Amino acid sequence: MIKYIGNRLAQILILLVIYVAVVFFLLHSMPGGIEAVLATNPNLTPAARESILKAFGLTQPLPVQFVLYLKNIFTFNLGISYSFYPTPVWTIIARRLPRTILLFTTATLIAFFVGFASGKSLAWKRGKTSEYVSTVVGVIAYTVFTPLLIFTLIWFFGSYLGIFPLNQFLNPDLWIRTNLNAQTIFLYLLLTISLIGLAMLASFAIAQKVSHRVKTRKIIFYISTAIAIALAVFWWAVSPVGIYGFDILWHMILPVMAVTIISYAGTMLVMRDSMLETIKEDFITTARAKGLPDKVVRDKHAARTAMLPVITNFVLSMGFVVSGGVITETLFSWPGMGMTLLDSVLAKDYPLASGALIFTGIFVLFAHLVIDIVYAFLDPRIRY
Amino acid sequence: MANTTEGMTASSEIFESPFKIKVKLMWRAFKENWRIFSESKIGMLGLWIVIIFAVAGFVVYPILASTIWKSTSLNAMVSYNPVTGYDFTIANNPAPPSLAHLLGTDPLGRDILAQLLYSTPREFALGIIAALITVFLGTLIGTVSAFYGGVVDTFFMRLADLVLLFPFIPFLIVISGMMQVNLLTLALIIGLLSGFGGITIILRSQAMIVKVKPFIESAKVSGASDPYIIVNHIIPNIMPLSFLYMMFNVTGAIFSEAVLSFFGLLNIRMSWGLMIYTADTAGYIVGTNIGTYWWLWLPPGMAITLICGAFYFIGRGLDEVVNPRLRRR
Amino acid sequence: MSILKPILEVKNLKMYYNTRSGYVKAADDVSFVLNEGEAMGLVGESGCGKTTTSMAIMRLLAENAEIISGHIYFKGKDLLKLSEEEMNKVRWAGISMIFQAAMNSLNPVYRVGDQIIEAIVTHEPNVTFEEARERVASLYKLVGLDPKRMDNYPHEYSGGMKQRAVIAMSLSCNPDIIIADEPTTALDVIVQDMILKEMSRIQKKLNMSMIYISHDIAVIAEVAEKIGIMYAGKLVELSDSVTIFKKPAHPYTVGLMSSFPSIKGEKKELVTIPGEPPNLLNAPDSCRFAPRCPFATKECWEKEPPYEEIEPNHFLACFHPQNLRKQVSEYARG
Repeated sequence: MIKYIGNRLAQILILLVIYVAVVFFLLHSMPGGIEAVLATNPNLTPAARESILKAFGLTQPLPVQFVLYLKNIFTFNLGISYSFYPTPVWTIIARRLPRTILLFTTATLIAFFVGFASGKSLAWKRGKTSEYVSTVVGVIAYTVFTPLLIFTLIWFFGSYLGIFPLNQFLNPDLWIRTNLNAQTIFLYLLLTISLIGLAMLASFAIAQKVSHRVKTRKIIFYISTAIAIALAVFWWAVSPVGIYGFDILWHMILPVMAVTIISYAGTMLVMRDSMLETIKEDFITTARAKGLPDKVVRDKHAARTAMLPVITNFVLSMGFVVSGGVITETLFSWPGMGMTLLDSVLAKDYPLASGALIFTGIFVLFAHLVIDIVYAFLDPRIRY
Repeated sequence: MANTTEGMTASSEIFESPFKIKVKLMWRAFKENWRIFSESKIGMLGLWIVIIFAVAGFVVYPILASTIWKSTSLNAMVSYNPVTGYDFTIANNPAPPSLAHLLGTDPLGRDILAQLLYSTPREFALGIIAALITVFLGTLIGTVSAFYGGVVDTFFMRLADLVLLFPFIPFLIVISGMMQVNLLTLALIIGLLSGFGGITIILRSQAMIVKVKPFIESAKVSGASDPYIIVNHIIPNIMPLSFLYMMFNVTGAIFSEAVLSFFGLLNIRMSWGLMIYTADTAGYIVGTNIGTYWWLWLPPGMAITLICGAFYFIGRGLDEVVNPRLRRR
Repeated sequence: MSILKPILEVKNLKMYYNTRSGYVKAADDVSFVLNEGEAMGLVGESGCGKTTTSMAIMRLLAENAEIISGHIYFKGKDLLKLSEEEMNKVRWAGISMIFQAAMNSLNPVYRVGDQIIEAIVTHEPNVTFEEARERVASLYKLVGLDPKRMDNYPHEYSGGMKQRAVIAMSLSCNPDIIIADEPTTALDVIVQDMILKEMSRIQKKLNMSMIYISHDIAVIAEVAEKIGIMYAGKLVELSDSVTIFKKPAHPYTVGLMSSFPSIKGEKKELVTIPGEPPNLLNAPDSCRFAPRCPFATKECWEKEPPYEEIEPNHFLACFHPQNLRKQVSEYARG
């Protein structure tokens, strides 16, 4: 298993280099590059233009530039942003990346579980109408035009019902009175959630080791998760920065809802199709012959095996979800990687744009790695 | 001598030309597949939606534009142009739906319904051209990869893996932000980008299955050249799958175009995404305006959703034709 | 002679598949009795209804399968009247099954040992995990597998090993009856022989009842005391194996017995039965074997022959029972 992970990491590193190369050469071959921008600016004297180009290293031959760029990446030096001059690109990205991670991971996890559970039950209860309706609803949720979905959500929850805030990730009035840095609060939130996640994983592993009865394992897992969450909530509630953390979470609800709806449908459809295929397998008949209760056959045998194509499909749909993230962040003014990407492109800020694109790619690569590991964990056949 | 000529004429009357036979067989196969497809409610739903849109865009719109809507255009001699047509009779734009303008007007005074219908053929064109390019590339590469194997195969498969890893829309955003992209260029870009990706993997595995079938070997033994086998034997057996994936690609292409024009990154005059962009930049989708000015974003948004969904539905319906395992007893 | 006590009685079982084009009469009026400690064979061509009958006993039928009428008495209770929960208790602990192509009977993502333990703890919740593991180990030894391989995954086993594991699994809850559906079809001949001998040995040792289902007479000959012949959804003959082999009464059985070569004895021409089994979709009300039967008369085409006991412990559904093998082969050659 360790070897497998090591293998994949090495592959990812190679892919990363190729990816950066593609991004780099692509951006530099675009008409309307920085040279063109500078050339069309009538206020620049040729000498000034020359020195700017030199300062940004643009006078050197392209391959040399590329090698330099690559080297710089590994030292986290991605250049200096044009639109946020003189802030380095890395600073901007570092600040915004966690926000995307939080939004994205939460939404993906929820979407996966909801899609998994609904696909599982829909496939088990056969019935012409339920299949038809769930397919139609699923496809519509899958292909809905994201801005349409988001506008509808914003209108319904924000405007009509008035419960959730319409955009941004914090309420400026609330924050203006303190000199707290939103970034730190945000990182604390991220930390809390990661700790809860770790606690869940740990309790799952411990439960496996301690008992062999499914019921006992479930009890251990649920109780420890509940305790972890309760502790976290308690800590935040009594701390002075509690309301700020809560404010951020409150703003997160609608964007998470949007991304969840987009990604859930894909999972649900694939899970349902996969379950329908798995049900025909012989070992399901054996499981039923063993006298196992219906739910156990469905969950422990059918769903567990049907899950595998879903996870593969998850990998493929990753790009789709990321793009959904870009749209969501822009429309909710959630300052994450997606919004950064779009704004930098619109502002023709090449260093920031390429930095954002590279990091989005890294994000996707990393997600692929995680999913591959999960898949290897679930399917004993491919581990070697 | 005379006898032989007669004999020859007689024999050419008895045997049909191979071409005619091929056409007959294709027709029969088509009818059979149509029967299976028409049994799928999902597929038929999608087909109906596409037909309605196609009729609306290609037939209904030109008629409407040159008759009913002519009166509100600048020059009464020319049919209504939704890009430039400003309705002088309405003072306050954007105006809510009324009898004259069934879906209201946009901030620039143009009729929403007309815009919707005007963009329809363009969306179709974009989707289908992009999908055709993708499928053409995917089929070619997939087949060649499977047939020749070795280095060629490994190269294209690794390439496909790589392409799959790239986040599609962010790439499109960067490209269209950096250079001027119009509809045709966009179709080309989308087609190329997707053509090297996942579809090659799928079509290649299908080509592999076909490649090992006995009739390929007998074709080789009969002396058929490689290109001949590829074009006349392997590709026709992959076509159903290619066609299936073409549907999904149309969905993706139209969706991508809508997203890009919504961000204002495209250099086009009118499209559904652009309609929402116009509304957004004019500030009519901010805050509570969303509910008030619903006709600015709801119709185009629904149009995009419906068309994308429809092609996807057709794809799922075709799935049953292509994958006999999925058919019901 | 020991007193035979019936443990399973299938009575007039009618099970049809409800398809779009009509009812497929997969098992039509099947009746037989299985006694304690008895090994019975069920023989017939593919699609004759033997698997269907066994699935009906376990109530594992497909959704579109309808039980029209009949009873299946197991230890006095009619299985067809039990609720799903009650049936779950009977499954595996009362009647267990060894499926065809055991390779696919095991779930690929769980360890083999765990899958057997799952069966044990479901039916005997008081058994601790260690006790269950020990039981699996002894079962493994019984079927000839190394207990250390309990923690391997199915894909790490060979075909023969998987088959043995499945046999072990079927024994795990000490059932009264085991239904073995073509247990050795997917194996090569040598392993086949070994497995058959094992199964026979285990069955006699544990005094279990067994139903062997096969289309291969040679296999059944090795293990069964009682043989039932099925054709086109109907049980056409049932008797002890000696009678079936030496004095088959139904023309189909006669054909079956004559259609495989024997190593001993004189060289004879193989007799084949021309034709194909009928379509069970809306099957006609005549003897279903009539189209292929050399002895069919008008009566056979007009009504179905009743299933009755023509001799003690010899059941038959035919208007023209045969008694001597010699008669038939002469006729067929002529």
